Amino acid sequence: MSTTIPNNKPIIEIKDLRKSYGDNHVLNGFHMELNEGENLVIMGKSGSGKSVMIKCLIGLERPDSGTIEVMGETIAELSRTALDELRTEIGFLFQGSALYDSMTVRENLEFPLRRHTKKFGVLKDTTPLVMEALESVGLAHAVNLMPAELSGGMKRRIALARTLILQPKIILYDEPTTGLDPITAKEILILMKSIQDKYNTSAIIITHDVDCARVISNRMILLVDGINYAEGTFEELSKYADPKVQAFFK
Amino acid sequence: MMPMNAIFKITEVFKSFLLEIGELSFFAARFFRESFKRPVEFKEFLRQCYNMGNRSLLLVAVTGFIIGLVFTLQSRPTLQEFGAVSWMPSMVSISIIREIGPIITALICAGRIGSGIGAELGSMRVTEQIDAMEVSGTNPFKYLVVTRIMATTFMLPILVFFGDAIALFGSYLVENVKGNVSFLLYFNQVFNALEFGDLMPATIKTFFFGFAIGLVGCFKGYYCKKGTAGVGVAANSAVVFTSMLLFIIDFIAVFVTDIFYDL
Amino acid sequence: MEKTTSQKIRLGLFVIIGLLIFILATYLIGDKQKMFGNTVHLATSFNNVNGLQLGNNVRYSGVNVGTVRNIEMIGDTNIRVDMIIDEDIFKHIKKNAVATIGSDGLVGSMVINILPGSGTAALVEPGYEISSLNRIRTDDLLNTFSKTNKNAERLTENLLKITNEINEGEGTVGLLINDMAMAKDLKTTMSYLKTSSQKTSESISNLNRLIASLNNKDNVIGILKDTAVANRMKAIVSNLDKTTVEINKTVGNVNKTILNIKDGKGALNYLSNDPGLVRKIDSTMTNLNEASIRLNEDLEALKHNFLFRGYFRKLEREKLREQRK
Repeated sequence: MSTTIPNNKPIIEIKDLRKSYGDNHVLNGFHMELNEGENLVIMGKSGSGKSVMIKCLIGLERPDSGTIEVMGETIAELSRTALDELRTEIGFLFQGSALYDSMTVRENLEFPLRRHTKKFGVLKDTTPLVMEALESVGLAHAVNLMPAELSGGMKRRIALARTLILQPKIILYDEPTTGLDPITAKEILILMKSIQDKYNTSAIIITHDVDCARVISNRMILLVDGINYAEGTFEELSKYADPKVQAFFK
Repeated sequence: MMPMNAIFKITEVFKSFLLEIGELSFFAARFFRESFKRPVEFKEFLRQCYNMGNRSLLLVAVTGFIIGLVFTLQSRPTLQEFGAVSWMPSMVSISIIREIGPIITALICAGRIGSGIGAELGSMRVTEQIDAMEVSGTNPFKYLVVTRIMATTFMLPILVFFGDAIALFGSYLVENVKGNVSFLLYFNQVFNALEFGDLMPATIKTFFFGFAIGLVGCFKGYYCKKGTAGVGVAANSAVVFTSMLLFIIDFIAVFVTDIFYDL
Repeated sequence: MEKTTSQKIRLGLFVIIGLLIFILATYLIGDKQKMFGNTVHLATSFNNVNGLQLGNNVRYSGVNVGTVRNIEMIGDTNIRVDMIIDEDIFKHIKKNAVATIGSDGLVGSMVINILPGSGTAALVEPGYEISSLNRIRTDDLLNTFSKTNKNAERLTENLLKITNEINEGEGTVGLLINDMAMAKDLKTTMSYLKTSSQKTSESISNLNRLIASLNNKDNVIGILKDTAVANRMKAIVSNLDKTTVEINKTVGNVNKTILNIKDGKGALNYLSNDPGLVRKIDSTMTNLNEASIRLNEDLEALKHNFLFRGYFRKLEREKLREQRK
């Protein structure tokens, strides 16, 4: 699919995105572009609409207005099956890992393969795929454990393995380091980088963690009051005099 | 000022109640729509059946046994007063088959299964597992809700059969010890007293009971509020709401049965 | 994989056992209602089926042998009842067997009792219609009872008219005044009859009320528990008894009077001159006799009514005890 997209064309394009819950206007005309191979960090305070934006992007929430194009397809116009097909190209790492409590690690990893059969066909044996994904996060030994037996960092890595199993082109990280101790957080960041090198993915990383942004970002967008308040590389933004921007870097 | 406030509060409560009923109806409608769509999550359905059926059996058996025992012990003196102890098996069987068996089993299951579903789906919602399923190309409504409602709908009648049988057995034990009634005599009298008009409406009713337990549990869990407190609320309100609904269904069932079977 | 397989097996076991319980229950209930197995149809017809329902038991010599399959109105007072009977029993039913409707113990669901026919009558064939006996219903009983009461009232009226004539001394009756004994007899008779008829009507209204309340109560246990009802029942029955005794006495009195008249003592000569009066007195006597016979009949019927059975037994026991003393 990606071969049909010219190199200069952004892989994700969001225009004038608006979303409100009652009187609470979360997004007020947000726009962004993600180029291929790029790591875009979106920073914002809690409740600034980062998570809502990323959920609109993958079709979990419907925006009030605005268009989202992913790999040339407009999300709002897609049928359910087409959307599911597109979702195989987008990995989503949830904030709290969102592993299925009632399933083993293996079943967790197999879960996306159940219905997303377009990419690999109907698999008789999923073991090679599962093991490959687990090895790339360094947790091959945990394959038969239950999520409850894992530490927070391990859960996050298993969740990452689960998003990787379909070998997506884009990975959306929703606060990948939140709730982890600094050392584990750093390990996760290193892992994210290595994955990007290995699979050549593009990524949108939502965070309010400056360290995370510094390590991983090629480009940053600061989201304040539902609009892109500032945009640029980490170095550029950290030199901004604006107090609202500076608030992020303290 | 105070009465105005009170009236306002009452209308608010009433409004939110109606809202809840409306949402529940939409939820039920969605269940029927989705349950006919492919693909069928049969494996998960079986897993839920196992969880709800087999895992509730012990609880239902113990409660049923005790209910049968206690019910017989309690009503025995009254019947004895009229020298009508020989009517005991008939009385016990009719009350257990018609009412006590279904409603007690349903209430027990509302407590065990309903709250379980509410808490499980609630925590899945809160920890974004439901979203994760959606992203993984699995329709979470079909995978989680449809399978669970189906499972409760089909498992509850079977649990009620067990509950009824065990309750009757408990009642028989009392009769055997206190009145020297033989197994054959007891069950002969039990089935003499019973008619299809007792068994069939009670059985049909249990499907609705099961459906209500699954529906409300899933509804409360699926639309759980964010945060850990939301999970508790979901589990709790699932039980409360289900229990109330069970009695309402029971009430309606009696009327419908009355029309068809002329009690 | 191992785990889920054993889970599946256990789930299968659970479902199968559960369904077996259900099927067994269904079978046993159906078996009791003779829905399975070899059965043969038999018919009978009644004027009144007393609330007989489909599925009610049919008994032959007290053994449950079948159930009621169909109840159908054919003509304004004729109800055809179709029964299914166990094939094994069917071979023993003779053509002169009689069907009656009765109630099944205290808790009154109705049953059809087939009384075995006697002698060498031929055996019934499938679909044969056997004859039936209609059971006396409590309502019918009360109806005849109140009719009797009305008759007694009319009777008293007639006698009153006669006494009035006597008192006014019209025609030949004037001469009767001289016959003081007869006049006195007649007077006492009148007053007896009056009070007895009053008491009868009282008793009947009481009984009516009681029956109405019986009909309202859902189960007999409730009634039995209600000691007030039981006491009232006792009072009514004893009243009835007393009334009969009184009416009997009255009739005896009147009879004596008539005998007097017939024997030609006292007033006979004068009475023979007044044939109208004689006829009146005669018809009164027949009415009176009839009334008291009916009353006795009614009481007898009441005795057989299951509700009062216990009370009468008690009376008999008391009588026995007194005799022993």
